[in-house]
Amino acid sequence: MSRQNPLTVITPIRPDKLEELREILDYMKYTLENIQGFEERSKFKDLYEEVHYLRWIIIDDKESEFFKHKKNADSLKPKLVFSSNFDKSVGHHLDDLSTDKLASIQKMDGMAVYSDGHTLTDQIYSCCIGYPESSNRTHKTRKDYLRDHIVKVSAFYRGSPRRSVTQIKEENELRVRLRKELDDNKDKWKDLSAKEIHRKLKLLISNDHNITITDTKYRMPKNSVFKLCLLVLVIVLLLPVIIIWLFIVQFGHEKYDKYFTTYRSDIPRKNTEILEEYEDLTDGERPEPVQGFAVDIATTQPKKDMVINYQNQFSQLVDMKPGKVRLITFKAMMLFARVIIPIWYVEGKLLNIPTIHFARWVLFDDNKRVLFFSNFDGSWQQYLGDFIDQSGWGLSAIFSNTTFFPKTNWLGSTGFFSMKNILPKSKMFFPGGAYDEEHFLAWSRSTELPTNIWYSAYPDLSIKNVNNNSRIRVLLAKNLSEKKAKKFFELI
Amino acid sequence: MYTIELEDVQGYVLREYGNMKFSRFVLLKITEDSQAKKWIKTICDQLTNAVKVNKDELPDRGLNIAFAKDGLTALGLDKKNLDSFSPPFKEGMVTDHRHRLLGDIDSSHPDSWEWGGKNNEAVEIILLVFGKDKNTCMAYYQELKSDFEASGLWEVRKLDGLTLPDNKEHFGFRDGIAQPIVKGSGRTGPDYNCVNPGEFILGYENNYFVFPDSPAIFKEQGDVNLLPPSGARPGSRDLGKNGTYLIIRQMQEHVDRFWDFMNEETKNTDDSINEEASIKLASQMFGRWPSGAPLSKFPDKDPGGASDDNDFLYYDDDRTGAKCPFGSHLRRMNPRDNFEHDSKEKSIILSNRHRLIRRARLYGEPIISSPTNHDPEGEVGLYFTCFGADISRQFEFLQYTWSNYPKIKQLYIDPDPIIGVVEKPEEGQQQQFTIQGEPYNKTVKDLKRFVTIRGGAYFFFPSITSVRYLCTLPPKKDN
Repeated sequence: MSRQNPLTVITPIRPDKLEELREILDYMKYTLENIQGFEERSKFKDLYEEVHYLRWIIIDDKESEFFKHKKNADSLKPKLVFSSNFDKSVGHHLDDLSTDKLASIQKMDGMAVYSDGHTLTDQIYSCCIGYPESSNRTHKTRKDYLRDHIVKVSAFYRGSPRRSVTQIKEENELRVRLRKELDDNKDKWKDLSAKEIHRKLKLLISNDHNITITDTKYRMPKNSVFKLCLLVLVIVLLLPVIIIWLFIVQFGHEKYDKYFTTYRSDIPRKNTEILEEYEDLTDGERPEPVQGFAVDIATTQPKKDMVINYQNQFSQLVDMKPGKVRLITFKAMMLFARVIIPIWYVEGKLLNIPTIHFARWVLFDDNKRVLFFSNFDGSWQQYLGDFIDQSGWGLSAIFSNTTFFPKTNWLGSTGFFSMKNILPKSKMFFPGGAYDEEHFLAWSRSTELPTNIWYSAYPDLSIKNVNNNSRIRVLLAKNLSEKKAKKFFELI
Repeated sequence: MYTIELEDVQGYVLREYGNMKFSRFVLLKITEDSQAKKWIKTICDQLTNAVKVNKDELPDRGLNIAFAKDGLTALGLDKKNLDSFSPPFKEGMVTDHRHRLLGDIDSSHPDSWEWGGKNNEAVEIILLVFGKDKNTCMAYYQELKSDFEASGLWEVRKLDGLTLPDNKEHFGFRDGIAQPIVKGSGRTGPDYNCVNPGEFILGYENNYFVFPDSPAIFKEQGDVNLLPPSGARPGSRDLGKNGTYLIIRQMQEHVDRFWDFMNEETKNTDDSINEEASIKLASQMFGRWPSGAPLSKFPDKDPGGASDDNDFLYYDDDRTGAKCPFGSHLRRMNPRDNFEHDSKEKSIILSNRHRLIRRARLYGEPIISSPTNHDPEGEVGLYFTCFGADISRQFEFLQYTWSNYPKIKQLYIDPDPIIGVVEKPEEGQQQQFTIQGEPYNKTVKDLKRFVTIRGGAYFFFPSITSVRYLCTLPPKKDN
């Protein structure tokens, strides 16, 4: 069973190598998903088999549009952030990244070509401060370096807990196969009941030796009502402390903070344009493979006739508000997230948002800054809209501890009466913040950063698809009543 | 609770002008801005407003005006003030990102548009002229046109629109039935269909109870005293108040391909056309029968006539999509009380954050096509026209998230069968329409694209006051 672990590694970049690193990440941007042949893919086999998502992103680059206007731009030291979601243990994953066997991707005559000689890790991390010199690069020294730079994840969400990349892919193949059987052999199913069709399909699949996923039993993770009750109980017991704390935050801090008042129309076009390009073009272009592995970099440029990608990523960097109260509040929220997510958000929805594959919060830099990364389905507008519609209170409680967030009211209930009937109840108790739609959208855009490399193992599947596929697999293995069989076929 | 200043709002956003069967939209370019402003000032008194009119007092003709970004620049609006407009309007419909998001690719690519595209004359002003019949409209147009040349205006293109009996469009389906009711507009309807004024009129609270991003005057120019103070941006004047954004897209309808596809998919074993099945499949894709009757109420047969039936919800009556498929155009464009997997009450809140006020008018030689009659003379289609205070959350969301993105509900590869299909899919990319039912869902494979986008633009549809204000801008050369 997959653990779906997160890893975050933050390394300082050598100033003299910054330009080179930018270039490397740039030409590698679309290559990982575009490597096609079997032999070529085998050079990166461990990554393909284990990694759900990964991304590299350069932060604190004072020459970039996103940092050069910062007050402290001159004192910023560029860093490389690596973030991944993978099946094995952290140690194993570091091994996969550190092994001599990992190939690299070189640029040659406008082509991205794989090369056995150096590893991808060397190629990227030789641009970072403290990385072992070329004479001293071994599996062990690489692994030690990466391990030394791991930053702990403050909170982490999985949309399809316990499922490995392979399981997700095979369950999708199973679903495609079932759909095909239903579509191609209509006569076979004529006049049969749902129950009979289910039984026949089950038999057909179990006799097909190419499909092995159904040989093993699987159980979907379930939200635990019992544990949630316990958690509620604990919160009720803590309520006096929480209430006093809310007053402290509201009257001691929130009231005096500077808050975010910008509109979307105020955000520089340049920045949005860069972010939009990344949104459009992730796996989107599937350039023709030339000479085996080599990928023509020019063809990875935006094609004229391309619809935008089904999946997307979000990278955000914000500063904590100064002071212990804010830090404690933030950490308490992270603790709350760590506790409640495995209890109540294991069925594919985070705070009722049904479009997130993985999300993480990372407090770093001496507790002064927060990174938020997520992999989601659909467009930016849809994703951010979901945040407001479904979970504005949660976001406000977390992010109002960071600087320049839209004004949040921790004690709620302003305009209670005018809002009832129309607003989700949560908003009545916690107005402002993320519920301040226009400012929240502008805030999200203005704190977002472009991701340099983003890789997704199954870019055509939404998280709803992934969970639906698992449900199909589980139900196929069972003996179903007519009523249940009908429910089963609603999924396909 | 809400009151909209209807006499200041240009009418077309809240009034259908249903009695005015003929329209001519004139695209104008400004050649001399002072003259142009003078002329626009003279037509301000003629602009039709949004005050509700009794049936027997409806006017025979109507006039509205809207501005694209280049038009506001040409009138001399300062860049600082222009920058306060919403990003989609400022950037236009044809940026790389946006045309991909909207699915304007292949033969719908803006490079091959007839207007509004990158290779066309810039769109600046659009004059919307209406008449109860063609003659009335043409007479009004001639009256206005006689001044164009002397007023520094050059006519770039005319878009003539008409309305067919029973409000059918060329595919043969009754159109424009469901419209949201804007609170404070003097119109009423069931609660679930009502939205706050700020969803459609700038300067009022929207469905999030905040003021939508509204253009404001940051750099003082012209007679700013005409404009009200801004609710969204305290301390500045509101250029957007009582205005909204207007979206127009010229959509060619390939009625031949449409019915050929339906006929082929449903043909009898002897290859003859099964008219009934063909119409049923087309209706499942639309979500309404040709008469306009909704499938969720009449799943088996078209009751006929002309239906205005809009009083239906999905959660209690059709949660499984067995009557009206999840993937149907109707259900995607307004999921009502069955939004993804949310509760009834929440679904309505969420659905109503993504509504449009639609005003389609047809072009080309009229045809009300059917399985056996689908050879139009020349190009036919419609000018898809809609309004919204937030282009990104409304029009673009509908076009991408609910139409082009094939994964709503538990679907996998189902784009909107009417407006979301990719014309030239990647090799191996399947696009299907799923018809929910027992014992298992059926699919229609290899969907074809039945529409081509031939032009389009985003416009600012200002209040009558703001039109007057724009006329007071100093001559451009002085800027």
